[in-house]
Amino acid sequence: MVMFAPFYWVLVTSVLPPSGAFSLPPKWVPTGLTLANFGQIFELIPFGTMVLNSIKITVIITLGSLVTSSLAAYAFARLEFPGRNVLFVVFLSALMIPPQVTVIPTFMIVRTFGLIDTHEAVYLPALVQVFGIFLLRQYFLSIPRDLEDAAKVDGAGYFRILVRVILPLSGPALSAVAIFVAQVYWNDFFWPNIFLSSPEKMTIPVGLVALQGYQGGAPAVVIFAAISMVTVPLLVLFVFTQRAITESMAMTGLKG
Amino acid sequence: MAKPMGEGTQTKAGDPAPADGPQRATPAPAKRRHRLSPLKRREALSAYIFLSAPLLLFVVFLGGPLIAVFGISVLEWNLLTQPQFSGLENYKQLLSDPTARAAIQNTFVFAFWSVVLHLGFGLLLALAVNRAMPAALTYFLRTAYFFPLIISWAAVALMWRYILDPNFGFLPYYLSEIGLSIPNVLVSPGWAMPALIFVDFWRTIGLTFIILLAGLQGIPSQLYEAAKVDGAGSLQRFWYVTIPMLSPTLFFALVITFIGAFQIFEPMYIITQGGPGDATRSIVMNIFETGFRSFEMGYASAQAVVVFLVIMVVTLLQIRLSRYWVHYE
Repeated sequence: MVMFAPFYWVLVTSVLPPSGAFSLPPKWVPTGLTLANFGQIFELIPFGTMVLNSIKITVIITLGSLVTSSLAAYAFARLEFPGRNVLFVVFLSALMIPPQVTVIPTFMIVRTFGLIDTHEAVYLPALVQVFGIFLLRQYFLSIPRDLEDAAKVDGAGYFRILVRVILPLSGPALSAVAIFVAQVYWNDFFWPNIFLSSPEKMTIPVGLVALQGYQGGAPAVVIFAAISMVTVPLLVLFVFTQRAITESMAMTGLKG
Repeated sequence: MAKPMGEGTQTKAGDPAPADGPQRATPAPAKRRHRLSPLKRREALSAYIFLSAPLLLFVVFLGGPLIAVFGISVLEWNLLTQPQFSGLENYKQLLSDPTARAAIQNTFVFAFWSVVLHLGFGLLLALAVNRAMPAALTYFLRTAYFFPLIISWAAVALMWRYILDPNFGFLPYYLSEIGLSIPNVLVSPGWAMPALIFVDFWRTIGLTFIILLAGLQGIPSQLYEAAKVDGAGSLQRFWYVTIPMLSPTLFFALVITFIGAFQIFEPMYIITQGGPGDATRSIVMNIFETGFRSFEMGYASAQAVVVFLVIMVVTLLQIRLSRYWVHYE
């Protein structure tokens, strides 16, 4: 109802020609459909490239952070070493650090390495996910040790245990982390906005806003077409995976 | 680190056991050295190897920058010239700069109303939905309310920018149809911030709703029945059963709503650009502008430090106060 109305209006308007699109009262049922607005998106910004950029960055971050989080979580959950508790608390406290606090020094580091306006600047900082470490550690702790002990008796080293024994059993936790991370970074605007400036490098959220700002601003209907293209697939995806996504996000309590 | 990971073939200097093939995980090593048996040392080494990548990333992108902002905040640095130490100048400037002060004030106002609206309406919604409802309807409602959260702020903000604009959007039109005519909220200082508070509420209420609903569903119904047996009316049941049992969840929602609200950036940046004037400038937006538009890195860092400290202090305060009203089992 209230929640859907804005999206519906955007969707409808995006298939209307520019001149008649914004009459008041608004037309809730479109007449005079046109798909021209969608084509125009591509003339104004490299939208296809942006989609690929978003996909590339999101996949790298998701897979990469699963790897780093699994390694760290296993070390914290199963291995004993000096400094374990202190280090874990240090990691945990990083959860309280908002991204705006780290962005300035990170900007300087990135600049020193000449990585401004590259995708590396966007995905490298995101490869460590303290939330992921925390969640996976909790999950690993709950796995019975017998399987690992059996593997150790057979001569398996820790890495092999992690990969062959622990991870296959951790499906739910791994997907919860993956869903959360993917969702956050797919939609992230703040960070890519700062580090990416050329349109060919931009991700979808940054591109959308650029569409409005660049070249005097695109006609509203074109912007709406872009918004529709972005939201409709997500809606479809969401309907099918709703439970997984909402539980994953509610677990972290962090807003994407 | 040229060792192959974990196949158990490493031996270390000073290892008393002869290196005669793959080590087995047999118990009882011969001697203890340096408080750690060789087995334990292998374990610790593996741990450090495992942690090497995460730790490196952590230091470079999380821990390091956190310490660094404090350091940068006492400098004057615009990236073109050499940084100069300026002590607490940036912080003093924060106190006198009207833009920065407006930003801080706006952010507190925003956070306050965000929390009130989220907890209030979230609770109402959760209570309403918690009554026995067909699963399909619950599913539909959860989808509907949660949906805006999975859409990027960029898309949501752009959308609302047009909905709120009287030249384009339907909201001012319908409001005036029912007799509530409002000025163009995008250019009216008094209305801009409330409008943004509303937009953020629209987008994020889903999360608070889900969290509170989960909390409500965790309250055992026996408690309600016992209360009814004791003659409690619905208002009393609400006050004496629901609220106390929900208090941990309410606390959690309170903490995360504040933290999230205080960091708000996208709606201000995308819809109103902080305007009109400074009416909707949030502190994070100001950090962005001073740091990445004017390149006053020191000043921006000082503001970032303030954000961090505010969040820490408020959260700690909330935790302290929680013992007075949060009931745990």
